[in-house]
Amino acid sequence: MAELTLMLRLRVLARSLAIQGSWNFRTMLGAGTAFALIPLLSSLFKGEREALARAVGRHAGFFNAHPYMASVAIGALARMEFEAADQEEIQRFRNVLVGPLGSLGDRLVWARWRPLCSIFAVLLVATGAVWWVAAGLFLLLYNSAHLSLRAWGLGLGWREGRRVGAALRASPLRRLPDRLTIPLAVISGLLLPPLALAIGEGSGVEPISLIGISLILAAAGYWRPATVGRAAALILVLGSLVMIVLANAA
Amino acid sequence: MGLDAASCPQVMISRPVVAGPLAGLLLGSPATGLWIGALLEILTLRQLPVGASRYWDTGPAAVAATAAAAGFAGAGGAVGAVGAGGAEARYVLAVALGVLVGWVGSWSVYAMRRANARLVGALGERSVSPRELEIKHLLAMAMDFGRATALTALGVIIAVALAHSVDLSFGSADAAGAILLAVAASLALGADIGTMQKGRPVFVGFFLAAFASGAVLLWLS
Repeated sequence: MAELTLMLRLRVLARSLAIQGSWNFRTMLGAGTAFALIPLLSSLFKGEREALARAVGRHAGFFNAHPYMASVAIGALARMEFEAADQEEIQRFRNVLVGPLGSLGDRLVWARWRPLCSIFAVLLVATGAVWWVAAGLFLLLYNSAHLSLRAWGLGLGWREGRRVGAALRASPLRRLPDRLTIPLAVISGLLLPPLALAIGEGSGVEPISLIGISLILAAAGYWRPATVGRAAALILVLGSLVMIVLANAA
Repeated sequence: MGLDAASCPQVMISRPVVAGPLAGLLLGSPATGLWIGALLEILTLRQLPVGASRYWDTGPAAVAATAAAAGFAGAGGAVGAVGAGGAEARYVLAVALGVLVGWVGSWSVYAMRRANARLVGALGERSVSPRELEIKHLLAMAMDFGRATALTALGVIIAVALAHSVDLSFGSADAAGAILLAVAASLALGADIGTMQKGRPVFVGFFLAAFASGAVLLWLS
């Protein structure tokens, strides 16, 4: 059995950071996955140019996943290649991974972890933190999980190979999005009063009214997120146009 | 920053709360960039980069918005002419520019992904040498870099033009700006919560408890 050496692991992880570099509507992450797998495939098919070219082409076809969770697929696919698995089995395996790796990554990272870190950073801003503390802590907090997830995924995929689906189902990662729900609720709730006060203090509205109004507006956003989310941006764009017109007419 | 959003390495330096103060640092006012970044961050919270969805290109948006805000401040009385006030009005215009740049950016990413399909889409149908795949993959990233650079440059040019042509010298600009920002931020934060947690009483309970605690803490301080 071949070894996933530390150097090989680092090269694959470094390349996986660019896995979305050629993201497209036809093969999505396909070319990026092959790009990340090249060091592993090159070590497997050393001196076999035709076999290497076939393997690279095989992995450049359609594939999609959350970009961080794609490292799980990269590890597992590399393992299957090292075990000389049947090509059709590899293709089927790639297709099976698309749904779970996309769904878990989207729920965990995009819908929970990134908003949690973002709201934490904005809370720091609203409570008067200096710029490098807010931005620095955001980057540190977010990327500690981001980079760990990529490294863990590659190791899990390599260790489990074609059994990686069962390993993912058994991992605590699956329940993590739900466990991040309460921290997200708490930090969102904590943010609203200082944010409303910090922004609105120049308006002349009473602080207590300002906080109350912000809660009512947030409730409106909660009940109709799709409509109200767009309305928030439109209010700023249209409001700024009105302000320009008023200012120049005065 | 332009590459970071999707292509490489996705460490979130393209998020407004980082890109804003970094742009502000270059322009001599990281604190302005931080507030611009925080406001854009809230407005983009609910935009999840899932699958083939379109989402604002936040890095160029934050840079352009910060350039606009710094431009209004730097021009001082000559352009702003609102004395010590006018900060909120300045922020409204700057963030609105950021929203527009981010929106244009979402379409530029869409166009680039179609171009990428022509560049690498057929590679999976044949044998392909590692060198060929690497060159095409890196070429796609170079295109993304060019796209983001052009978008940022366009945004900054518009920001400079705005700072030299918009007159904010009317008395109510400050208050109107503050109200607009507070309304938009509250709505966007609520929409974000709604998108992620709809129908979850536990979430709403904890949110309200934290909100009340935050309000009481502010009142006590």
